[in-house]
Amino acid sequence: MSATEAAPRVETPTIGVGRIGPVWMLVPALVLLIGFFVLPYLSIITMSLREASTRAVYGEGFTLAHYATALGDPFIWRILGRTLLMGAIVTVITLLLGYPVAYHLANSRSRWTSLLYIFVLSPLLVGLVVRTFAWMIILSNNGVANKALMAMGLVDFPLQLMNNSLGVTIALTHVFLPFVILPLLGNLQAISPDLAMASRSLGNSRMRTFLKVTLPLSLPGIQAGSILVFVLSISAYVTPAMLGGTGGRTMSVLVVQYLVDNFRWPAGAALAIIMAIVALIVVGLYLKLTARAMRRLP
Amino acid sequence: MRGAGGVEKTIWDRLFLVLVAAIYIFLMFPIVLVVLLSFNSGEFLAFPLEGFSLRWFEALFSNTRFLEATSYSLRIAAISMIVNGVIGTLAAIYVARHAGNNRDRIRLVMTSPLLVPEILTAIALLFYFYEIGIGTDYSIGIQIGHIVVTFPYVFLNVSSALFNFDRSQEEAARSLGAGGWMTFRRVTLPAIKPGIITGCLFAFVISFDIFNISLLLKSLGRNTLPLELFDYLRFNFDPTAAAIASLSIFLTFAAILIIDRTVGLRSLRF
Repeated sequence: MSATEAAPRVETPTIGVGRIGPVWMLVPALVLLIGFFVLPYLSIITMSLREASTRAVYGEGFTLAHYATALGDPFIWRILGRTLLMGAIVTVITLLLGYPVAYHLANSRSRWTSLLYIFVLSPLLVGLVVRTFAWMIILSNNGVANKALMAMGLVDFPLQLMNNSLGVTIALTHVFLPFVILPLLGNLQAISPDLAMASRSLGNSRMRTFLKVTLPLSLPGIQAGSILVFVLSISAYVTPAMLGGTGGRTMSVLVVQYLVDNFRWPAGAALAIIMAIVALIVVGLYLKLTARAMRRLP
Repeated sequence: MRGAGGVEKTIWDRLFLVLVAAIYIFLMFPIVLVVLLSFNSGEFLAFPLEGFSLRWFEALFSNTRFLEATSYSLRIAAISMIVNGVIGTLAAIYVARHAGNNRDRIRLVMTSPLLVPEILTAIALLFYFYEIGIGTDYSIGIQIGHIVVTFPYVFLNVSSALFNFDRSQEEAARSLGAGGWMTFRRVTLPAIKPGIITGCLFAFVISFDIFNISLLLKSLGRNTLPLELFDYLRFNFDPTAAAIASLSIFLTFAAILIIDRTVGLRSLRF
């Protein structure tokens, strides 16, 4: 139904271009994406404005009460703060760990490069539940990490490594590391090696060359990768749900709890929208800050 | 590694290599661990390994719930792959060849499911399906959700194959008298086939793995494999779970191998 509204917009002849082409090729994709992607997003907004009901998942009338309740609740603010902080920490750590790997892959000419590339790529393609399950094996009280620490005599009793923010942060770092490596790799490979060579031949040390030439030129990759990881980690559901317990509960876990366990759809929708708006503001500020740093680039 | 002409490796080079090696190990360790433990004969998900055994895979294959979940996941993934293989390829060709001034705008719409968190899309579809009366009683809801989320993978991979394709070959075919369909079937399609294969395999693997969409849109009592594993782990923590996880890891690596053999991994587009 929506496709019939959308298709003519594309059909309108663009001035100066005589050939419009076979629009039918685009129609199925537009039906899919407008009918089952764009319109559904509008229904999050309408849902968040509906009244609550005790007999159904939502009521008849419309209200702003869910936003007011959520924004006045210190518990929600605490969870929101924790989610953002965790996202920021995961972003910083993945950048610090991902940069050396991307740099190595970009410059590697060994015959193992292809295998190393699989090392980076495969965690991305293995399901989230599987990867988080692996971290449960490692981080639980009787898990691999605690056993190893105790065997080495570093601790006397098991450390609490999961069911808190720490466990979620460790696992999210692993889960999203490839998302920072891949954009950086693309960026680093696109930088002409002549630039670094020129800097070296002018007598700069390798470190200085990296800091003054390579690093500034890779800022776009850093920007893209960090935004990706930040958005993915603050919206992650599986990992905090499996590893977080109540101490590591994030906004996504709370929203799903509202929807699935408590059947409070309008309130859950309002929470989801608050989270999305906060995320947009943070990313917007970050883009502004990094744009200033990148403006000094040639 | 970067020293042109055999420059001596300094201590910093070696330290850097050790650091990078540690990060590669960090990336692979959890996955290797799960596979190792799924073949371990011991009762618990812990070291030391006691011996090789297939008992946990036997336990898995005698569990009807897991088998049903696996076949349900395979079915959803296969349908997502086929549907997107057709409509994603068509859309990519249209955008590459005919979109004109609207190209960037249409491209943005086509990739948008990748640009927003999957959990938000899942929530949006849940509300929407109730509003338009489909609800979650049938598999159609979860199936549409999977198709929407995996669509950009086919679109992007085919787009990138089209971008790298030299159009003069098409013109040559046309000038030799081939019609539009003939040119497409004999020239364009073979040239972009690697992109289509990669995109389709990607769509399949991602659909097989995704969780949030399935969690919110599943109909009662019908679990996909990741959901079944998630539910299982709530009450159990044993090597059967590792066997399921291994199975899904093998599937992923099979796909990676096929992509690597046919088109090369570096052509992947996210």
